Amino acid sequence: MSQQQIFEKVIAVLKRYTKNEDALNGVSASTNILEDLKVNSARLVDVILDFEDVFNIEIADEDADSVNTVGDALQLIEARIG
Amino acid sequence: MIAELAVETTGPSASAGVTSRRLPWRSRLALGVQSLVVRLVGPITLIGIGLVMRFLYGFKFHDLRDIRHRFKTELKANSGPVLIAANHLTFVDSPILTWGLAPTWWYVFHSAKMPWNTPERSNFAANPFTRVVVYLFKCLPITRGGDRKVVTLVLDKLAHLLNRGHLVLMFPEGRRSRTTRVDRTQAAHGVGRLVKAAPGTRVLCVYLRGDHQDEYSLLPVKGETFHLATSWLEPATEKKGLRGSVDITDQILTRLEEMEEEYFNLR
Repeated sequence: MSQQQIFEKVIAVLKRYTKNEDALNGVSASTNILEDLKVNSARLVDVILDFEDVFNIEIADEDADSVNTVGDALQLIEARIG
Repeated sequence: MIAELAVETTGPSASAGVTSRRLPWRSRLALGVQSLVVRLVGPITLIGIGLVMRFLYGFKFHDLRDIRHRFKTELKANSGPVLIAANHLTFVDSPILTWGLAPTWWYVFHSAKMPWNTPERSNFAANPFTRVVVYLFKCLPITRGGDRKVVTLVLDKLAHLLNRGHLVLMFPEGRRSRTTRVDRTQAAHGVGRLVKAAPGTRVLCVYLRGDHQDEYSLLPVKGETFHLATSWLEPATEKKGLRGSVDITDQILTRLEEMEEEYFNLR
């Protein structure tokens, strides 16, 4: 799967949870999921679980902690996909 | 006490293969110091808070003797980590249920059994005075949705404490219920994660509700009488990673929902 495909799928997942869809238009690797996209912190768990389903990967609690930005998510997913 | 908390691998579950990460020495030392301070000031703070709840606010419990007898008997009968998971209706659920489970003076002599708490920092530790107060009542403030590394460190501290025989209290709903019923919408999955990090953890599910708690509120009404029910749970999951933590949290919330249903059926 190409980086672009991963990116598009990540954005599709985030779109379900963001309260600031405008921020999705200018999204970059440094976009903070909680602060910029206004995803509810309690929903961050659901975002990670959706990543697991969409990319057919398994994410540990500790790895989930490292996801603050869109770039963190991309990095984690790419590492899991191999 | 400091040495007791600073020891790395000699807790009761160390032989069972604790999977939690090693806590940095600074954190272990800080926990040891806090435990010692709590113990030293306990005769004043604990008995004081008990008197305030009993006489200033006039709080009471249904079947108090029975609740306390069951709590002490269960703690004596079983060793190993104990996590208290309660429903969440008011700002002061934590001291009320702690007092309901045992007289406050009892905790002066059984300091480790007074549960550690994780209050929301913006509510309870926003200024120096409240920071001191929560420190003296065994709190490790946490910022909801805050820096994940900081949240992780707090969870690691709690796992460390659980593995050393300290009781920890958490609210799996993640915030006070806006509906006054057990609310899963903001569930805090750190509860499940903590259970996984301290193998053999038994969860004491607590359902606490005042007779007049009919709507969302900051505090219970003065003179309130509380219903406090307990139920032990040993959650287990086949699921791995984050999904396992979510599964365990779900099991705990399901038990709390069952206890709530029982409460309303008997009402």
